[in-house]
Amino acid sequence: MKRNLSIQAGFIFLLLFTAGHIWAGDAAGSSAASEPLLASGQAADNSSTVDAWTEEEWEGEWDDEWGPSDAIADPLEPLNRFFFHFNDKLYYWVLKPVARVYAGFFPDEMQIAIRNFFDNLRTPARAVSCLLQGRVKDSSEEVARFALNSTVGIVGLGDFAKDVLGLYSSEEDLGQTLAHYGAGGGFYINWPFLGPSNFRDSLGMLGDAYMHPIILLDADWEVTIGAWTFEKVNYTALTLGDYELFTKTALDPYAAVKDAYQQFRKGLIENK
Amino acid sequence: MVVLRKIIVQQKILLVFLLLLSALFIDTGFSASATENPMDQLQVAVDEILKILQSEELKEPEKKEERNQLVLNIVTDMFDFREMARSSLGQSWNTLTPEEKDTFVELFTTLVEQRYIGKIDSYNNQKVIYKKQLVKGDKAMVYTAIVDKDLEIPIVYRLEKNNGKWLINDLKIENVSLIVNYRRDFDSIIRKEQFAGLVEKISKQLEK
Repeated sequence: MKRNLSIQAGFIFLLLFTAGHIWAGDAAGSSAASEPLLASGQAADNSSTVDAWTEEEWEGEWDDEWGPSDAIADPLEPLNRFFFHFNDKLYYWVLKPVARVYAGFFPDEMQIAIRNFFDNLRTPARAVSCLLQGRVKDSSEEVARFALNSTVGIVGLGDFAKDVLGLYSSEEDLGQTLAHYGAGGGFYINWPFLGPSNFRDSLGMLGDAYMHPIILLDADWEVTIGAWTFEKVNYTALTLGDYELFTKTALDPYAAVKDAYQQFRKGLIENK
Repeated sequence: MVVLRKIIVQQKILLVFLLLLSALFIDTGFSASATENPMDQLQVAVDEILKILQSEELKEPEKKEERNQLVLNIVTDMFDFREMARSSLGQSWNTLTPEEKDTFVELFTTLVEQRYIGKIDSYNNQKVIYKKQLVKGDKAMVYTAIVDKDLEIPIVYRLEKNNGKWLINDLKIENVSLIVNYRRDFDSIIRKEQFAGLVEKISKQLEK
């Protein structure tokens, strides 16, 4: 009961926090909303032909988008490096051997289905994030995705909405929503078990977790951790080799992962 | 002779067509790339690589070296490794002697090739999609994606024209630029161990 209360309190706080910004963001949001429309219209007309950009657009894309942005602050570096090392060992000693055995038993198709299942459970959180960003259409698409994939897609194992109707996931989360309203990333955090993040995205992760059905249904923590571990093993099985290759062809893997996280999140926030 | 004439006629038709096109797009930068656009050039090279990877004969374990070499021959032709090495060092590049630059370009090339070859080893009939290209004069970006295990992974190439040939000088996989990532990585070493430390680290890494 007590835990439920703190969940609700946290959630209400989050809603209030973001609601305050919605009015301020509305003006900016409406002008921004017309741009993607234009852009997608252009892409449809000129697909597979050569697009022309104006000088400004081009220079922005060519230099700024491909140059380094400001380095992320890392006041916790010693601690972060410690946990990076910890996660690295966890990967090689536990996660990888388990995932290899797992991959031997479950074929790719099954792993994909299980990934879809867990991804489907994150849909409510994505729908909320879209709504908070004023993206009503994306939000309703997420709701449609959840309804369809949970039923026709058989508890989310299949991605019916994408495969048949072409409804793609918005890939939104609360961290991106906070960024949408101007929140900076804050300092870098490399969590044990969870991996790279920053202050803003960690808050977002916490909020997203509260919208996860497994938390909403108030499952025992053993079940929650079990489900999380299963998802992690399944994901590792699907991406075996990627982590090794990236870290082995980097000189300071910690610095490389830190930057990759920053660039990856920037792309998501800007909806590239 | 007939064949030759046919070719000449075809070339003439093509020329007229291209002239018409460049007249249409003269303001948009299309004309510069009309002879060969970067996406087509990229696709030809990637298709060649895929052909090697899909060859049953080359899949044999004892052919691995040969297969990797065949792929690398194409890769070397696609990338502007010197430019990539230069921008991955940022400001530090200007402080190097010509010999140091050459050494670094060589090390950097091998490092990138290793990452590329590693990816190739895990190739399993993934499909490549070509989405669009943006061209302006000698600069271009080509948007592609790889479909891997039912997920679309976006890959954007940044190219520049050099002696009539489009060369890749950076690529973004899921928005992570290879060069920016290496620059941060190298920076973190150079700040502590200078350029000499970086060279030593790369050499050591490549021996593994």
